Amino acid sequence: MGMSFSPGRRTFLRSTLLGMLLAPATAAARRRYAYPVATNVLRPPGAVPEEHFAATCIRCGRCVEICPYLCIKPLDIRSGVNAGSPIIEIENIPCYLCMKCVDVCPTGALRRIPQAQTRMGVAVVDRYTCVSWKDKILCRTCYSVCPFMDKAIRLQEFKPVIDERHCTGCGICTHACPVPRQQGGKAVNVEPIYAREFTLPEEAQQIGGAV
Amino acid sequence: MKVLRQHSWSFWRLTVQSASFALLISIPLLNFYLNFNLIQGWYQSLSFGDLWFVSPLEGLERILITRSIYGPLLVGMLLPVVLALLCGRVFCGWICPIHYLSDLTERVKGVITCSKRTKDRWLLPRQILWFALIGELLLSLIVGAPIFVFMSPPGLVGRELMRLVFFHALALEVFIIVGVVGMTLITRRFYCRYLCPLGGLLALIGHKRKLRVVVNPNSCIHCGKCDNSCPLGLKPQQGEGEYSQCWNCGTCVDVCPQESLSYRWRGWSSGEQHGQK
Repeated sequence: MGMSFSPGRRTFLRSTLLGMLLAPATAAARRRYAYPVATNVLRPPGAVPEEHFAATCIRCGRCVEICPYLCIKPLDIRSGVNAGSPIIEIENIPCYLCMKCVDVCPTGALRRIPQAQTRMGVAVVDRYTCVSWKDKILCRTCYSVCPFMDKAIRLQEFKPVIDERHCTGCGICTHACPVPRQQGGKAVNVEPIYAREFTLPEEAQQIGGAV
Repeated sequence: MKVLRQHSWSFWRLTVQSASFALLISIPLLNFYLNFNLIQGWYQSLSFGDLWFVSPLEGLERILITRSIYGPLLVGMLLPVVLALLCGRVFCGWICPIHYLSDLTERVKGVITCSKRTKDRWLLPRQILWFALIGELLLSLIVGAPIFVFMSPPGLVGRELMRLVFFHALALEVFIIVGVVGMTLITRRFYCRYLCPLGGLLALIGHKRKLRVVVNPNSCIHCGKCDNSCPLGLKPQQGEGEYSQCWNCGTCVDVCPQESLSYRWRGWSSGEQHGQK
């Protein structure tokens, strides 16, 4: 059998190879690496969905350099392929939505977006640890610091309630929440919108630790 | 040209390299302490005001993996690609911090061991550079995430300098840089010769470049000094200065006792020799 390549076969091989290269990556391929986002660990504003982020960001660090609050940090090599990509740990420094980082991104990993339409995540009030809900104490810290007061966080019978339609996930409420770590962490936490696993804290442990 | 020739090419190269490295250090300092945001980034993306550069490898990989085109990215890649089209791997030879650090390492080693020149102990076929580039791109496509985050040391140097200034700490990536620079003690520019995907891409873009190191066969006395001097192990005496992998650093031009080697600006086709000085 001769190995003469007919033009048809050559075209076929070429197009197959090209197709393999250009066909959309399967979801399975994207799941091969773990997402670095988690509760209170978020991407900067305007970020493309997490499954595209590692590929879209070229790790130039310009969002890190321009952030006036130093809230954006580059990940390191322990995050695997996400090394060098930006992350915000809102418990340390939240995002104050100055929207400077989205203007400097050269690759479109951070897209320009109006401040109020930013969705870094969504805040969730833990009614088991929140002192307003649990102890009937009049704490409204999260309500007072929220940049979208009375929209993203409302007070319902003096208890904070999140409105997902307006919450940007900036994390200012989480940063300000006075509930100490020993009592099971912050009473208001920001969950990434695309979180796959979200479990409520164990009830018994919370009540036991709160004494 | 006359002003340039008052000093050797090595002098100019070292000046440009030092200035580039100083820029890498000063950008995070300016951004951190003075909030001076006019210049930003490092060799993955550099901005002077609204003039944005994007490294061709990182940009290409981003386009390949996400299967989407983004206008600002393409425009940012334009100037580096044009530079590579005209001058080949000049980024590697004249700007790249890895080459600079390797150069310094070599000089320090020369002072310590009192030997003038490092031997190349481990030689591989030069074509490995192309396979490194292809392999890196294919691997990125297979994984669905960019591999340059580990394999593009010029970007790592910038990132670590920024981390040092902004967070007063270094990350584990430093060991990659140390390893890459350390490999130069085994074979000069081992990483640049065989493994650097960015160098491979720039060489590929510039395989028909205009700026080349050309040997004049009439005055060449075949002393072999240029062959020994080339940090990439090319043999300019045999015309290998016109290879796509040559990074136009000018070391060979400097050492030539007969001045047979010189930079030439020539036409697109390699055979075109007439019509120029």
